[in-house]
Amino acid sequence: MAAQSLASALASLLGADRVLDDAAAREAYSRDATPLFKGLPEVIVAPHSTAEVSEVVKFARSTKTPIIARGAGSNLCAATVPLNGGIVLSMMQMKQILEVSRNEMLAVVQPGVSTQQLDDAVAKEGLMYVPDPGSKTVSTLGGNVATSAGGLRGLKYGTTKNYILGLEAVLGTGEIIRTGGRLVKDVAGYDITRLLIGSEGTLAIFTEITTVLSPRPKSSKYGVAYFNNLAEASVAVDSIVASGILPATLEFLDNTCIKAVEDFAHLGLDKEAGALLLFGDDGSADSVEKSVTAMAEISSAARGVRAVTLAPDVAAADALLYARRCSLPALARLGSMSILEDISVPRPQLSRAAEAIEGIGEKYSLLIGTFGHAGDGNLHPTIVINKDDADEVARAEKSLADIFNLALDLGGTITGEHGVGSAKLPYLKQKLGDVSLALHRNIKSVFDPDGILNPGRVGS
Amino acid sequence: MSTERSEGKFTQSKLDRCISCGYCLPACPTYQLTGEEQSSPRGRITLMRALQDGRLPFSDEGATEQASFCLGCRACEPVCPAGVEYGVLLEEWRDITWRGRKRPLIIKALFQMVQAPWRVNVMSALSPVARNRKGATQVHLALGCFERRLFPKVSKAVAKLAPDVSIDRSQGCCGALHAHNGDLEGGKELAKELGKKLPGTILSTAGGCAAHLSAVLGSDRVKEFSQWWSAPLAPIMKNGRPIRIGLQDSCHLRNGMGVFKEPRKLLQQLGEYVEVPNAQGCCGAAGSYSLLRSRDSKKVIAPKVAAIKTLELDYLVSVNPGCTRQLKTALRRARVKTKVVHIAELIALAP
Repeated sequence: MAAQSLASALASLLGADRVLDDAAAREAYSRDATPLFKGLPEVIVAPHSTAEVSEVVKFARSTKTPIIARGAGSNLCAATVPLNGGIVLSMMQMKQILEVSRNEMLAVVQPGVSTQQLDDAVAKEGLMYVPDPGSKTVSTLGGNVATSAGGLRGLKYGTTKNYILGLEAVLGTGEIIRTGGRLVKDVAGYDITRLLIGSEGTLAIFTEITTVLSPRPKSSKYGVAYFNNLAEASVAVDSIVASGILPATLEFLDNTCIKAVEDFAHLGLDKEAGALLLFGDDGSADSVEKSVTAMAEISSAARGVRAVTLAPDVAAADALLYARRCSLPALARLGSMSILEDISVPRPQLSRAAEAIEGIGEKYSLLIGTFGHAGDGNLHPTIVINKDDADEVARAEKSLADIFNLALDLGGTITGEHGVGSAKLPYLKQKLGDVSLALHRNIKSVFDPDGILNPGRVGS
Repeated sequence: MSTERSEGKFTQSKLDRCISCGYCLPACPTYQLTGEEQSSPRGRITLMRALQDGRLPFSDEGATEQASFCLGCRACEPVCPAGVEYGVLLEEWRDITWRGRKRPLIIKALFQMVQAPWRVNVMSALSPVARNRKGATQVHLALGCFERRLFPKVSKAVAKLAPDVSIDRSQGCCGALHAHNGDLEGGKELAKELGKKLPGTILSTAGGCAAHLSAVLGSDRVKEFSQWWSAPLAPIMKNGRPIRIGLQDSCHLRNGMGVFKEPRKLLQQLGEYVEVPNAQGCCGAAGSYSLLRSRDSKKVIAPKVAAIKTLELDYLVSVNPGCTRQLKTALRRARVKTKVVHIAELIALAP
């Protein structure tokens, strides 16, 4: 269908104020937070209700038009780049927190609510929305559920998939489905809620989300340990978990990251160290003190340790957390483009993965800085390149294949928390195998018989 | 990576800095109004890139609308993890698209009014601005063009509070107006001229002027009033209790110069300081924006007025004349009794 008639048909369906199709708007929606991916949508539609979402999907089905649901567009796997044109369905007009229930410890929200907005709202009740993806100030709940977003507290608390009780969603047929609900226990039928979490807009479009809430921890404490290299820091992490401690925070940075962060933020980090391990916990003051002291002791006794210190106050703790959070932008300043990867390996393989990534950087003469969630085995090797250097771009792409192979060889995965999108789609078959891939396709065709929901991605 | 800017183009290295993470979205007042990507800082940078690469012509209506719809408040800069100099990019954008006849008429008229020092003087001839004098120190007061005309009491308050500061009414415009409205070169030239005219430290009572002067002349030459004032202050009493005071940040003072703790510290000494919700958010004045886009400007300030109303403040302090005018008008319309004053005027009331 021609773009012009597509826009006018949608405008007559929902009203002109819901539809954008000028060149500037289409350009703005042509990408998300993923470098190297770009595609122009024909039209952008911003529905205000579930009924309107259903209308748009029915229309898209009748005209076989691709439809890509989008929240804040902060994903890092090109899940929302309209590579096949079509409709971008912006969920940003559906941003109401519908309910916060203290006695049921749950919240019901529309998909355009930001992660931070929800956490701030429930904090007033002494509660917490637990998942904390790095982009929480901007990311939406809809996007979090679509990618099963992770964060810095995965080891102790899990990820988005552990905090969703129920969904309302629109299928590729335009039908509205409710899955799960407000119940902690409910085994009636397949767990379709769990199937939809992480489906990246390929099976259904979320219109309402019911989340689990937790009591807000009373206190937290952090410390830092420096090692000669990431492999030794990884061994210390293993010892910490093996000792029976399950801390909220176990993050690490390699020397490339430490230097980049220190040059950028001047936090007083040890630039000579090969690795920085940030450890911390939350809970009651007593338990936090115990676990943080124990982690400091274990680190001090570990091989290759250089120094261990505890943050004396909130400001010092914030500085440490900031060091971790600003790793990516600090690295990004070293070149004109940075490719952030997201492999995950079983924790005991962490030291081998860290060493091998260093080798890959040397093999392809690339600057790779690695930081990550050491506690849950999730690593973010970040390749910093000059986007105008074609040879360097080509070497970076080759190195990605090596990094994914490495993760799979160690029993890990090609993406821990960012998603498959378009960025990791070429490697999905290797991870899943033919039988699983065929099953994915069959599942998608049941939810979306005409293949209009985010086509070309998982399950297509 | 090019650090040079060629004619009719953006500085490529400044565009390259953006990693499109989107952390700027929640900080942007226009994105908060529309929820549309093209009216967010990241979306606007995507547009700038399209203009730079020729995917969109500089005449594109939608893109030009976004260059104009942006308040230029730079709230996106402190939250940007990658250090994108958005304010500079916006100035370059307006410099390219508003050149020559395309510049809005109101802006042309404003430029005319401040084009030469004598015109600025004529404009404020009848206003009771502080008198010329030679102070004992190497500190000169910058007299904002529109502040002289609209709020002459501000310079008088400074004259009374700081007898050592020199005042020279023959000075001209600092050029902030030009830089923000598509005349980068003109803006720089005027700032440099003012720098020659006022040797030593330039003391400014307008956040917008201070930030522009500081960017051109260097932060060691320029001090904004609340940043410069160091004497201890005693509380101002009203009906036997300390006055209740709130603050509206000046966007360029806060986001451009990083000055926001300083005025708060002073106000905490003067009375019961109450943090206005979203005090750091733009009030919608945004220099000439309130004249150019009065409807959008009113939409931006509406939630702020509602919040201020519930606080029952005696004084709302402003550190920039554009904000003062915007707040005075909006509060008067909403029948809120809180008085809007410049921080120097309030200090002048202290015992």
